[in-house]
Amino acid sequence: MTKLKTINLKKNFGDLEVLKDISTEIYEGEVVVIVGPSGSGKSTFLRCMNLLEEVTAGKVIIDDIDLTDPSQDINAVRENIGMVFQQFNLFPHLTSKENIMMAPKYLQDVPDDEIEARADRLLETVGMEDKADAYPRALSGGQKQRVAIARALAMEPDIMLFDEPTSALDPEMVGDVLEVMQKLAKEGMTMVVVTHEMGFAKEVADRVIFMDEGYIVEEGTPEQVFNNPQNKRTKDFLDKVLI
Amino acid sequence: MKIKKEKVFPFIIAFIFSLFISGAFSQTVQAEKGDENDPYLITTDVTYAPFEFQNDEGEYIGIDVEILAAIAEDQGFYYELRPMNFSAGLQALESNQVDGMIAAMSITPEREESFDFSNPYFEAGPVLAVREDNEEITSYDDLDGKTLAVKVGTTGAQLANKLAEDYDISINQFEDSATMYEDVAAGHSDGTIDDYPVMAFAIQNGLSLKFPTDPEPGDVYGFAVNKGRNPELLEMFNAGLATIYENGTHEQITSQYLGEDTEVAEETGFFGLLADVFPDLMNGLWRTLVLTFVAFAISLVAGTVIGLFSATPSRVLNIISDIYVTVLRGIPLIVLAFFMYFSVPQLFNIQINAFTAGIVTLSLNTTAYIAEQVRGGIAAVPVGQLEAARSLGLPYAVSMRKVVLPQAIKIMIPSLINQFVITLKDTSILSIIGIVELTQSGRIIIARTYESGAMWIIVGAIYLTIITLLTKVSATVERRISND
Repeated sequence: MTKLKTINLKKNFGDLEVLKDISTEIYEGEVVVIVGPSGSGKSTFLRCMNLLEEVTAGKVIIDDIDLTDPSQDINAVRENIGMVFQQFNLFPHLTSKENIMMAPKYLQDVPDDEIEARADRLLETVGMEDKADAYPRALSGGQKQRVAIARALAMEPDIMLFDEPTSALDPEMVGDVLEVMQKLAKEGMTMVVVTHEMGFAKEVADRVIFMDEGYIVEEGTPEQVFNNPQNKRTKDFLDKVLI
Repeated sequence: MKIKKEKVFPFIIAFIFSLFISGAFSQTVQAEKGDENDPYLITTDVTYAPFEFQNDEGEYIGIDVEILAAIAEDQGFYYELRPMNFSAGLQALESNQVDGMIAAMSITPEREESFDFSNPYFEAGPVLAVREDNEEITSYDDLDGKTLAVKVGTTGAQLANKLAEDYDISINQFEDSATMYEDVAAGHSDGTIDDYPVMAFAIQNGLSLKFPTDPEPGDVYGFAVNKGRNPELLEMFNAGLATIYENGTHEQITSQYLGEDTEVAEETGFFGLLADVFPDLMNGLWRTLVLTFVAFAISLVAGTVIGLFSATPSRVLNIISDIYVTVLRGIPLIVLAFFMYFSVPQLFNIQINAFTAGIVTLSLNTTAYIAEQVRGGIAAVPVGQLEAARSLGLPYAVSMRKVVLPQAIKIMIPSLINQFVITLKDTSILSIIGIVELTQSGRIIIARTYESGAMWIIVGAIYLTIITLLTKVSATVERRISND
């Protein structure tokens, strides 16, 4: 069943056309990994999926709701889409647990102790239960990103967007974060991941999308894209990253 | 908890405006002028001994003050004295901020075009004065290539301008006599021209100037009302003046200040002076602090609102914020003070007391700077913070209030403390519209004691002490906030 659909999506920054014409569908429970050279528009594409970037033309449809319809309450839709950022973007003035509880406290009519129980559960899921009361400045990069994933899950979304979640991490931290993401994928979460971790893509992705210069150049199973790329640009890119 | 900030803004703005307006209109004109409840407002110079100055108890005394008191008593009207700098007083009278003016004002044809004058109550001419040890200047001819200090808008200034047509004289302008005399005593100016009785009184009281020439033929002083306004007040003044000439009160008042038996101010030394003037200075300091705290509190609220305007996605609010900051930062505080105190009453036909005008002026100015600091503070919070909050589904207002602002405030605190110190020091500029804050208190005391050297050290030390204390307190608060 289609969870998220983009139709002829275009995005310009001034005169610069970053996304030229992108139509794709993402199915429920599917893990889609977007790869491509820097500047190919993959992060912008991801950020259009929850309208963090205003789209120039085209549509973004989630569960039959058109996000680009001006009368649509975007906040209500975003509650259902978790997002994880390259730079974590944890709120520095709040503890790990407070970071997670922030959105549910404002947006859900649920008693505080229930929200707190949910936060504890999420911290356990990402293996950060012993840092519940720590402020972000006391956490390592990998720990921050795991708390950020827990925060993105706090509204119990059914899609998760990951924008290069391991790119700002020291190499030894990457494994912990990928492990949490793999766990989420196993639990059946619909995930769209922009990453340079080809290992993760091969192992976890149901589908790989290769983007270049604002277009989807090639897509298919990891097997097809990595082992038998059809397009020359895909081949060139893979030659560079898969030495 | 889901209050939308957009809906709170109008209330905050309405609240601020109601504060301004309730202050501004509290003095609007009532039915019967000159009775106990609605006294005439009469301006006089802040310090122009022996015509008007404060005694040790901080009460206004002097020839003008006592003549006015005697006439009011004789005629049975009530008045309130509103001392302000001479040129500000002229503007206040012109803009109907006050009903009358008695400030050793010479009756001149130019002034008669703007004001109606009473019969003369005093005769005096301007005279040249130089330092006691100056042997060089013995006539007007010796003024070639010299510098003269004059008080803005006085007949002394007119005489200086006339002399400047014949000789190469540069002119320094001052707002009050005491500063002007000190300028000569300190050697910055070679001489000054002021009314003879004023300087004679000052010299008797220890000012080390002397007269190289004879006084010019006498100007006559009159009590003034705005052209065509308050004719009954003018009538009463003339009637009362006739009475006090007749019964000897006038003679008694003038000889008390100009006669041979004038008291010479005691030599008290630095600590004697300090003890003597301490209550006056504390009163001034109190007003300085009230001005600062009230204006800063208003500006914190208004500045945050205007600053947030510039951070919102709304183009219209961005522009409003931009215009406010550009205009208010582009106007010098002193011009803004004159505008609030003189132009606004004329434009809207209301009366604003000096203190209200001062607070409004300072608030408008400080708000612009705080708005800039709020804007800068918000801009310094990484954009990812707002994105993270919005991606969770939090509305813009909540994201700003709970995520961006708490971080922005921490960034802003040092510059807010800095702004507070600037606002406190800026209160001294408001002395120009007659608010007797700390600096003006110092000036008034100097007019009485002629101790400018010691007084400015004392006044400076008070500012320094207060600002250091307040900065220490704020630093502690800052540490608390950054630690949690």
